[in-house]
Amino acid sequence: MSEHESHQVFAGMLALAAAGALDAQEQRRLEEHARECPACRRELEIWSGYAQGLRQLPQPPVPAQLMERTRTRLVEGRAAAADRRWDELMLGALALFAWTVGLTFWFVARIVTGGELVVMGANLVRFGTWSAGSTVLVWLTAAVAAIALGKRRRELRRAL
Amino acid sequence: MILAAAMNPGAFSGAQDAIARMRRGDPDAVAAMISRYQHRLYRYLLRLVREPAAADDLFQQTWLRVMEKIGRYDARRNFEAWLFSVAHNLAIDAWRDKRGESLDDGGDAGAPPTERLRSGDPDALERLLDFERGAMLAACMHELPGIHREVLTLRFEEDMKLEEIAEVAGIPLSTVKSRLRRALEGLRAAMEVRLPGGRRA
Repeated sequence: MSEHESHQVFAGMLALAAAGALDAQEQRRLEEHARECPACRRELEIWSGYAQGLRQLPQPPVPAQLMERTRTRLVEGRAAAADRRWDELMLGALALFAWTVGLTFWFVARIVTGGELVVMGANLVRFGTWSAGSTVLVWLTAAVAAIALGKRRRELRRAL
Repeated sequence: MILAAAMNPGAFSGAQDAIARMRRGDPDAVAAMISRYQHRLYRYLLRLVREPAAADDLFQQTWLRVMEKIGRYDARRNFEAWLFSVAHNLAIDAWRDKRGESLDDGGDAGAPPTERLRSGDPDALERLLDFERGAMLAACMHELPGIHREVLTLRFEEDMKLEEIAEVAGIPLSTVKSRLRRALEGLRAAMEVRLPGGRRA
């Protein structure tokens, strides 16, 4: 590499040198070059001035009450998360309760009807028919409950 | 992290203790961490998004996200880099939502320079001149693209290592270096436009 090419390579490293972004070997080679090269020495000084200026930029003031507002938002966030967990737990419990009730009624219906209750050609107390009907009912109930809970949550959020 | 622990074991164990208490939802630990990082995190966000109201909102969102994710935080990672990466991701999302960032948005808000000078300074004039140079540099930095402002603030104001900057911005080390170089060159070009004939910051 000619002296000019080598100078160009080092000149391209000067900004990073001022930013402390060269590895030890690059830094050492650049310093050796700068000792012999007044132009690079001058440039390095200029870049160092920029680096120093950037370390001493005017500091923006933190807005008043930022910390308090953040803490309040965290408390609200925690409360909302606790609400969500509670709602999910309630939905799960409701679904389980609905299944248990459905199963109990199936047993009772089988005993009362002697295992046959035909409506429009379908035996309603057959396990398959009963469980399909129960599933539809449980999911409908869960959907209605989820909508109601969502509405309540939105109202609470608006009230905060 | 290991280096941080070796250099300042007291501060390191203090931070780890605070993080452990944050994981348990201790409100005092959360408040202590917010207080500890409020200036640095707000400054970083403001440099990034340039609008005080947006930085304020992102600051709050960052802590909400931190509390959501603190259970999954790997204690071997550098907490500061993790915290700033959470803020970075939220700022990127906000940028995407906003679409089209204008370079001629208002400068960083707050009190005028003279009001921010400390009173009782022995050489107020010299400080004012320093401040004016600093303000000009800040104004030039303000004109740079967001990705360049980010590397400059992380390197020079947050004094982060290149590896930490890479972690925050989610980019390779080589990209950090090239961004840093382009950012400095862009800053210098902007300063030279403002200071015809002058070359120093």
